[in-house]
Amino acid sequence: MITAAALCPWPPLLVRELTGADPVLPELRNACAAAVTGLLSAAPEAVTVVAPGPVTAAWPGDGRLDVAAFGGLPAPSSAPASAVSGICSLPPAAGIGAYLLDQAGYQGPRVIWTVSQDEPPAGCRKLGAELAVTGQRTALLVLGDGSARRGPKAPGAFDPRAAAFDAAVQHAVAAADLDALLAVDPALARDLMATGRPAWQVLAGALGGTEPAATVRYADDPFGVLYLVASLVPAPH
Amino acid sequence: MLHLGARTYPPEQRLIMAIVNRTPDSFYDKGATWDEAAAMDRVHEVVAAGADILDIGGVAAAPGAPVDVAEEIRRTVPFVATVRAAYPDLVISVDTWRHEVARAACQAGADLLNDTWGGQDPELPGVAAAFRAGLVCAHAGQQAPRTRPFRVAYDDVLADVLERTLGQAARAVAAGVDPARILIDAAHDFGKNTWQSLEVTRRLGEMTSTGWPVLVSLSNKDFIGETLDRPPGGRLTGTLATTAICAWLGARVFRVHQIQETRDVLRMVSAIKGEQPPARTVRGLA
Repeated sequence: MITAAALCPWPPLLVRELTGADPVLPELRNACAAAVTGLLSAAPEAVTVVAPGPVTAAWPGDGRLDVAAFGGLPAPSSAPASAVSGICSLPPAAGIGAYLLDQAGYQGPRVIWTVSQDEPPAGCRKLGAELAVTGQRTALLVLGDGSARRGPKAPGAFDPRAAAFDAAVQHAVAAADLDALLAVDPALARDLMATGRPAWQVLAGALGGTEPAATVRYADDPFGVLYLVASLVPAPH
Repeated sequence: MLHLGARTYPPEQRLIMAIVNRTPDSFYDKGATWDEAAAMDRVHEVVAAGADILDIGGVAAAPGAPVDVAEEIRRTVPFVATVRAAYPDLVISVDTWRHEVARAACQAGADLLNDTWGGQDPELPGVAAAFRAGLVCAHAGQQAPRTRPFRVAYDDVLADVLERTLGQAARAVAAGVDPARILIDAAHDFGKNTWQSLEVTRRLGEMTSTGWPVLVSLSNKDFIGETLDRPPGGRLTGTLATTAICAWLGARVFRVHQIQETRDVLRMVSAIKGEQPPARTVRGLA
């Protein structure tokens, strides 16, 4: 069963050492930390991380973010961190999930999944439903961002459709409207560089029938990408 | 660790020494801070721009009207005292080769003796030791103070630089100067033609690898002017390029006229070396 779910974005700048001397977005970092802390407060027996990635697949639970892939100050050793530690490097979004759990001090078991941008909504929903049936009290950490084409400084060229698309997603998350999340159009999401789509739909599948309540902790686009931080808690039986 | 005044600097920290001339005839500023009020304005300006050290000099390097000990003291020492009163923690260096001037300057609060003429006065290290001041051990070849190099030849210019600067450092330590307060300086242009200053720059790593902190004094000098065919006012780009290379090769202290520009260059080098993070990184990470 799912005890609680958290939705966080996965910009690499969440990793403090990647933003240089300036913390850049401490409020976003704090919102993510609060969401993950909330996730862990129900003392789950395991945490499942669901993140967009190159394939729909499970990854080793001890996998971590390869921070060096994004640069940062050179490590004392010239060897990649993964080679030193023997720990699997996760794709970036899943890696940020693992990083957020580490930052929150979580040391329990982890199940880590990436979901492909090619995974259709039905497949995402099915995966979510399967992840919910674990026989364990499981918390769900979902990584995903809205459109990256929201303004003139956005990573992608401005697309006038982005605002309405993101507003609909934000509303669906705030209202815990799982059907609306499942209805997000994969093609439009891809056009708008909204990486969260498959992960949102896994979330909807996992929370199906639980009548969750949602709290949005952060919703803004300081760099032209919609960052959404939310907590979703199933209704008590 | 480098110690200057009451401060301690880790090896990766690069320091800016701002030139403040109390002369009517220095080659670059041509007496701009000969007036005491103008000199104090310059101090406020360079401190605000981030200078770590002031280098106060009372005698232009080039040949010119004689400046005796009393006149050099008159030009520099009261000013050292004024600056010390205004900035109790600022590291103050005095550019002199004379131990009498050095003693008066240390009494007025100087922390560092910049012996650019390379050990002409054997009593200078004793003054540094007595006041727990630092000492810059520079290479001027066999050149006398206030002369220009005349047909200077070396079998190996850097070998001579090392022999003389390390020799002075050893004598300073023997005289009781704190080794953590000693720097070495190849003294570009001093006792060197342009080819020799360029070679010293190219091989600066041989100086930094000695372990002594290396000071470089490059600012708008003739070797840059001759390389680029530019008058003193047109040498900033060449100065900054040379600064970047010296910083990359491990120089620690940069004696300069332009503080802000030098600071930006040193910041870039520190970031490229991975010794200091950029100010703010968002590009590609949002």
